[in-house]
Amino acid sequence: MSKTEPVSGAAAELLPKPRPGRRGFLGGVALGGVAALASTRGAARAEITFASAKFFGKETVAQVVEMYNASQSRVHVTYVELPPPSASTEVHQLLVQQLARQSGSPDVFTQDVIWIAEFAGAGWALPLDREFSADVRKQYFPGVIQACTWGGKLTALPWFIDSGMLYYRTDLLGGAAVPETWEELATLAQAAERSGRARFGFLWQGKQAEVLVCDLVEFVASNGGAILGPDGKTVMIDDDKSVQAVQFMRDTIDRYKISPQDVLSWDEEPSRRPFTGGQAMFLRNWSYVYTIAQDPKVSSVVGKVGVAPLPHFPGGRSAACLGGYQYGVNASTKGRDAAIDFVRWMSSPATQLHFATELGLAPTRPDVFDDPRLAQSQPFMQKLKSVFLGATPRPVTPKYAQVTLVLQSSVSRALADGNVKQALSSAKDRIAAIVAS
Amino acid sequence: MTRSVAIGDTLRQAAPSLANVRRRRVDWAPLLLLLPTTISLGSVSVYPILDGLWLSLRNTTLSTREDRFVGWLNYRLLATDPDFWSAWRHTLEFTAISTLAETAIGLGMALLLAERFTGRGLVRAAMLIPWAMPTVVTSKMFGWLFDGQNGLVNWALRSLHLIGGNIDWYGSPNTALGTIIFADVWKTTPFMALLLLAGLQTIPHSLHEAARIDGAGAWQTFWHVRLPMLVPILLIAAMFRALDAFRIFDLVYVLTGGGPADSTEVLSTLTYKTLFSALEFGYGSALSTAMFATEVLIALCFGILIVRGMRQQGR
Amino acid sequence: MMAEVGYRRSGARSALFLVGATAIVLWSSGPFLWQISTSFQLDRALVSPTPSLIPHPFILQHFLNIFLVKHFQFYVLNSIIVAISTTLLCLAFGAMAAYALSRLKMRWRFGLLGFILSVSMFPQIAIVGPLYLLASVLGLLDTYVVLVIIYLALGLPLVIWVLFGYFQTIPEELDEAARIDGAGPFRSLLLIIIPLSLPCLVTTGLLAFIAAWNEFMFALALTSTIAHQTVPVGIADFTNLYYVPWGDIAAASVVVTLPLVLLVLFFQRRIIEGLTQGAVKE
Repeated sequence: MSKTEPVSGAAAELLPKPRPGRRGFLGGVALGGVAALASTRGAARAEITFASAKFFGKETVAQVVEMYNASQSRVHVTYVELPPPSASTEVHQLLVQQLARQSGSPDVFTQDVIWIAEFAGAGWALPLDREFSADVRKQYFPGVIQACTWGGKLTALPWFIDSGMLYYRTDLLGGAAVPETWEELATLAQAAERSGRARFGFLWQGKQAEVLVCDLVEFVASNGGAILGPDGKTVMIDDDKSVQAVQFMRDTIDRYKISPQDVLSWDEEPSRRPFTGGQAMFLRNWSYVYTIAQDPKVSSVVGKVGVAPLPHFPGGRSAACLGGYQYGVNASTKGRDAAIDFVRWMSSPATQLHFATELGLAPTRPDVFDDPRLAQSQPFMQKLKSVFLGATPRPVTPKYAQVTLVLQSSVSRALADGNVKQALSSAKDRIAAIVAS
Repeated sequence: MTRSVAIGDTLRQAAPSLANVRRRRVDWAPLLLLLPTTISLGSVSVYPILDGLWLSLRNTTLSTREDRFVGWLNYRLLATDPDFWSAWRHTLEFTAISTLAETAIGLGMALLLAERFTGRGLVRAAMLIPWAMPTVVTSKMFGWLFDGQNGLVNWALRSLHLIGGNIDWYGSPNTALGTIIFADVWKTTPFMALLLLAGLQTIPHSLHEAARIDGAGAWQTFWHVRLPMLVPILLIAAMFRALDAFRIFDLVYVLTGGGPADSTEVLSTLTYKTLFSALEFGYGSALSTAMFATEVLIALCFGILIVRGMRQQGR
Repeated sequence: MMAEVGYRRSGARSALFLVGATAIVLWSSGPFLWQISTSFQLDRALVSPTPSLIPHPFILQHFLNIFLVKHFQFYVLNSIIVAISTTLLCLAFGAMAAYALSRLKMRWRFGLLGFILSVSMFPQIAIVGPLYLLASVLGLLDTYVVLVIIYLALGLPLVIWVLFGYFQTIPEELDEAARIDGAGPFRSLLLIIIPLSLPCLVTTGLLAFIAAWNEFMFALALTSTIAHQTVPVGIADFTNLYYVPWGDIAAASVVVTLPLVLLVLFFQRRIIEGLTQGAVKE
């Protein structure tokens, strides 16, 4: 951070020191005037633009940007507001249109975690390895850094993290332990349904939309399976482990009957409502549900909700689907130094804490979770640290946009008619064709 | 009025050259009258449509930086793409059923509202509500009303003992499209009803009176007198409705996203995913052009009927 | 009322009418009444096993929320400006074009009508991208102008076609008379044809207004600040990441729909009923 006022510093070196006495005083004033003129011209603020999806909480992203502008005078950031993340396809399209023109605008942007490989592969995101060394990268969650890296290069800087997690009713659990395997969950859910304590055992999201792939990743990865291999080219969606996982998804409706068939048309909100309405025992959803569950205006289960990492299959590990937006710098930016300065500030521990307390966006730095101020304002968030450590990204490939559409269609078909192996095989063929080209 | 015509005739006979001058002078008028429309429509449509046609002949995919001229490749792929054809079928099914239903129900509403009765203004205003409600709200509202577990519709049907258990409206491939059609009919019938009502209001009273005096009952008056005069506006309204229905997007995208199992995928949602998500501009533009071609066919079918009807009425 | 049936209705027919009218009112306004009820209830009540139309507890929180926190009034103002401008221009341009096509014998009028129609046959999602680029290059992003231009193009085809169909039913003798009295096409349109077509103009104007009022996709793509965003975008912005504040959305839809409906009530009584008394076409 030693780039402060380089011009005026150099100018100050060059100017002779003012001499005492009236002539000296006048001379000093004159020289001081020249120096002042030089310094104002030299320290003209670099202008950059920052385009982000519209997030808000107690504050807005615009206000945070203003904090940056007020905190220093090297860079001035103009904030361009894109639609809210609920309209993520529009955000994607608007970003792409601007980035594809390669005109340097916007200099800094925010990207959903699933677009990082796409933008990197298209050459629109600036690699940040030089500015953010390996030591710096260790300060973030490894899952996020992995998602921010493509082709061996860091093309995104972490902003906030979200992941799937298991919500459960503490009052309905009785003395039982929180389930660690899917089998245990099914048993507990069935018992709750049979005894009439809960109308639904387990709710999740099966709508033919992006969220289906999020749920898919959690089931598949928790069985040790994968959709795409680490090389981004080997398709593993119809391997035995993956098929088993999808079969379980189907079984929750068909065999165990712990989930209503309606989950096939439910995304986040329709599945959340019955749970906070007190009708369900278990729910898989994102972190936002917890705050809502504690709000008496919206929830009927205040104080009765617990959170835990998602269960896994025997021999597997709990997998939470990674979500969240991250920063990116435009590869064609004309204000590179200013942009780097800005993202460094935005991703700093202090700003991440601010985002957490004022906008409810969970930090991507494990250290910030231990800050007592976070405990005060968002106690729930602190508990999530262990969940986020196990965050698994969705398939990392520049062709993700096309891959996800195939996955959504095939898995939805598998869940609707029960021909899991057949649907996944056809998915494998189509995805293989996409990633091979 | 007859006097004016007579004078006009006299003038024309007396001064044919004068009439010619008038006719030539009138030639500027149509151009001037059509100018604002042409500029307005042209400026918005020409560039995008040409751009779309141009892109459909290339394989432009923004994120992979492909951009080559590929001729008819996209269209050949389209012709053999099962997703395209199933979406095309769903869209036609949706268009046909919803347009017919909206025309029939709209006609019924219009006929009722054309009569005078106390509270008519209130009924007319109430009828407009579905069309006036913001679309962003209507879609989510129908998602909630027909929610399989907590929706009002299931609750009402069960309370009336019409069904035993809850019906999974959106989660079952069998009922999803039908539910969306129902939502569209609710939302768009006022559009038809309003246009048909305007059409009914312009039927001269004298025709009615004449029929009544001749002893015709209400049904005969409707069938032989009002309906034939209503046909032009009915065809125009139905045509616009069909063209709009073919491009249905919001309802499907919000309610089911094209699922479950692609059972409600329509051409607009398919094109949206191809263009906005996958960023395959070449293929997506070919999809749009295919949609456009089908719409042209639909418009032609209606257009022929409309023009024939107008020519029959002696214009 | 021109199309009124003058004969006295039998008791059975009256009853049928009552049933029909009630059915229309219930069918059309039922879900809206549910919206009104929801806007006064806590969000928690949505998932209750026995839904009740009467809100208890009755809260005004949602309405306060949308105005004080989300500044909904600005979105409404933007929508009003854009929708009214679009409607007036639509009617003006549309009437002129329909008159030209109907009255002034042009050779390619059905071809022109076809071209006008074709503009509304291209899927809107395909047009958004190129228009965004065009607007961006022309510096028209996030302005009222760009929305009005686009909505005008979207609404003109319907207005022109419907008015064309209607003008065709106006006898040509009236034009002859006007011409003889020395009126050119513009005056003839303004003083004779338009007064005759007021019910049609009101209807198409209403449809154009509602279309501009409810349009979402272009508004979302082309506007980015509260200075120019319209109601649908405002409502969509209520949803941050996942949580849908259903009570707020219901309150917003009530605020937006009710005045429109009341306006229609007022307009209908004043214009349609009053003017169609004059049997101008006889």
